[in-house]
Amino acid sequence: MSNTDLEDDLRGTFERAAASVPESSGLTERATTGAQRAQRRTWIISGAAAAAVAAIAIAGFGLAGSNNKPSQPPVAGGQAPVSATPTPQPPTAQTVSGTWRPLQMAGFKALKAARPSDPVLVFRADGTWTGSDGCNGLQGTYSIGQRGAFTATSGPQHLMGCDNVPHTGVLKAAKRIAIDGDTLQFFDADGRQLASYARAR
Amino acid sequence: MEFEEYVSARGQELVRLGFTVSGDYQRAEDLAQIALMQAFRSWRKVRNADDPHHYVRRILVNEFLSMTRRRSYSEAPTAELDPQGAVPDHATDIANSDDLWRALATLSARERVVLVLRYYQDLDDQTIADVLGIKPSSVRATASRALASLRESKLRLSNKAKSH
Repeated sequence: MSNTDLEDDLRGTFERAAASVPESSGLTERATTGAQRAQRRTWIISGAAAAAVAAIAIAGFGLAGSNNKPSQPPVAGGQAPVSATPTPQPPTAQTVSGTWRPLQMAGFKALKAARPSDPVLVFRADGTWTGSDGCNGLQGTYSIGQRGAFTATSGPQHLMGCDNVPHTGVLKAAKRIAIDGDTLQFFDADGRQLASYARAR
Repeated sequence: MEFEEYVSARGQELVRLGFTVSGDYQRAEDLAQIALMQAFRSWRKVRNADDPHHYVRRILVNEFLSMTRRRSYSEAPTAELDPQGAVPDHATDIANSDDLWRALATLSARERVVLVLRYYQDLDDQTIADVLGIKPSSVRATASRALASLRESKLRLSNKAKSH
């Protein structure tokens, strides 16, 4: 067998082999999710270092007798309490309009995990909302009825994995909202608090 | 070009390349995924390269070679070519082709990669040398040795088949 014949056979064999490979699906998602997981490990390590530095700095200020106002008490995670009646400020599309950061979400404890983008919700007065779960852009519509009755829909979204903040779950489950100063609260049909958000700007 | 566009256009080619070098479907998927993950992490740099696909292909091939150097690597049994997915061919050619596919499994990882890059990817020796980080003369020597080995293995396999 000459080299040329062998080379031709090789080309054919490789072509046949390549053609036998089944169609692969979800390559983009697997690659981006895998890369983000690896990146998240790096962030967690950097975040832990930053938290340690911040703790030392705060302790230092405390020892120096700073007159700074006490910081906000930590928000309790885990099981959400059954709500008291929310402060009766009638929420409207105008009053919820703006950017909100999550303070607490029932059953979700990873709010402070490092993410590629800020996990915020943005309500617009025209009845649409956008936001980010930390990794993916979110969007949808909402409406506010009398006495804070609330409904929302969500549009299509990517599903890149990270500690995705479940804004969409909160919005879909919420039946009522209330605003208390700069805090926005969501409640389910039983009046249980699903989540609270603080106005970002 | 965005990462998603690249994967949608060339992702399957990477899996195919992974299969031709490794001979294993699962490993081919893993190789493509690892190459894409690494490319995604520095996508801005990859996108700005003269040929982004060349860059990702280099990651895949070198990942395969690193994989085979690891102690935990075990040679996967060479997958039989799936006739369902294969291009229809003359029966004799298929038989010859399958002999050759089995013979390819007897080569070293680097020999097989050189042949794949040369005869499947149609790269010239200079480009192959660039992908592997070796000299073009080493590419030529490796290819020549691999072809000689293949010829012997194929002959042996044919004789064995005739004697049965």
